[in-house]
Amino acid sequence: MDATVLRHEMPPEVDALPALLDRLEAFAETAELSPRAAQHLALVAEELAANVAMHAGGASLLRVEARREGDSLHLLIEDDGPEFDPLSAAAPDLEAGVEERDIGGLGVHFVRRLTREAHYERREGLNRLTALLDVG
Amino acid sequence: MQIVEHREGATTIAALEGRLDTATAAATEEKLIALLDQGGVVADMTGVRYVSSAGLRVLLKTAKQARTRNVGFSVCGLQPAVREVFEISGFDKIIPSHGSRAEALAAG
Repeated sequence: MDATVLRHEMPPEVDALPALLDRLEAFAETAELSPRAAQHLALVAEELAANVAMHAGGASLLRVEARREGDSLHLLIEDDGPEFDPLSAAAPDLEAGVEERDIGGLGVHFVRRLTREAHYERREGLNRLTALLDVG
Repeated sequence: MQIVEHREGATTIAALEGRLDTATAAATEEKLIALLDQGGVVADMTGVRYVSSAGLRVLLKTAKQARTRNVGFSVCGLQPAVREVFEISGFDKIIPSHGSRAEALAAG
């Protein structure tokens, strides 16, 4: 198996997230990602997977694929839950103080900030989120 | 997530070790908020290599609780990757962050 490809299938449950993070850390090492790129990948993948685990009632499968191609890192997150575009969430108010600061929307904010591009599509009964990240 | 407590005068230092993420958020939140019963808390994050948005929520809830109880809450020892997460989310402006335990204690 190509060392620079990760394919991970997991139940869409919070308890399954640590194993995903372990796999992503191991992948980052074999794909020779910088520590910063490894963090970005883990954060984006975990936020999206956690989103499915916590909000997509009815999903039975969650699939994560990561692939390094040169200086780009391709990430795919698929689930068979009800149609939902995580990128449609509103941006958080980053200027609010501790009293007013809302605690929602941060995960998607990370996805937007830490990816070069991110796209959502509904295809063949699956939610497919693809993202492109830098390896440096 | 491992949490080791250490009293320093009226302040509790809570040394966190592991990932502060979706899987560890609930237990960490319960522990940190319970520690506020004894006074101010400094969360030493030297041993935390990963913080997700769920982890940030824990710190925000703890900061809000601390304010309600009129005690201090700050973090120290953020690793570079964790500090970046703080900055991207704007948390560097709402939760006091110090380089070391000594600096956090000196700041009260």
